[in-house]
Amino acid sequence: MAEEPGKGQGKDVWDATQWHEVKKGETLSKIAQQYYGDPSLYPKIFDANKDILKNPDLIKVGQKLRIP
Amino acid sequence: MRRKLAIIIAVLFAFSLAACSSGKAPAEQAIKAAEEALNAAKGEAAKYVPDQVKAVEDELNAAKDSLAKKDYAAATSAATSVAAKAKDLAAAAAAKKDELTKSWEGLSAGMPQMLDAIKSRMDILSKSKKLPANLDKEKFEGAKSGLAEATAMWDEANKSFKEGNIADAHAKATTVKEKATEIMTTLGMQLPQAAQM
Repeated sequence: MAEEPGKGQGKDVWDATQWHEVKKGETLSKIAQQYYGDPSLYPKIFDANKDILKNPDLIKVGQKLRIP
Repeated sequence: MRRKLAIIIAVLFAFSLAACSSGKAPAEQAIKAAEEALNAAKGEAAKYVPDQVKAVEDELNAAKDSLAKKDYAAATSAATSVAAKAKDLAAAAAAKKDELTKSWEGLSAGMPQMLDAIKSRMDILSKSKKLPANLDKEKFEGAKSGLAEATAMWDEANKSFKEGNIADAHAKATTVKEKATEIMTTLGMQLPQAAQM
């Protein structure tokens, strides 16, 4: 599991946003499988990250994604 | 000779009686003053520093016991100490109230975020065909009922705060924090920085 970007730099210490840092070989489906047990729920992750993702099939290693 | 001895004993008895009764009135006055001081401080103090109030009450009862046993010196000394401690209670209660209010402000900002994050995850997990590893149906159902309890208790904490009962609000909010932390851990979620302390 990844830490939120900028954590500990004056950000809200109560921020409960859940984060995942993309690792090599991961897809949104695999991440959905990890957190929800169901790969078909990947659109939930895509929808929560539309500010940084344009295409659900295009995620980059090191990207920090919100996991609702 | 016998007559002389009887006179001496009578004089000594009269002196000791006078000494005793002269110590009684100040002891009674000291206890009365201590009781009044304690009653004046008790209202707020009982809410915020109940243990300290209990200790001072015990000391006052000990002073009364000493008075009943005619140990006026001990009664006066204990009552004087109670009066001084009763004054300290007001300051201790004010300090505790400030501390709880500051802590409440943090919890008040944090609990909605934790509860919202849990609810969001649970809504999605409820749609999942299969739960993730390390989460079985029993744990998930437990987490669900835990969220319902935590949400209800958070509403009660807010109600207590609005009614001015900060100690009760804080106690309930702390329970909500513990419950929310437990649920997030069960669901494999990351805890907010402040909840890790």
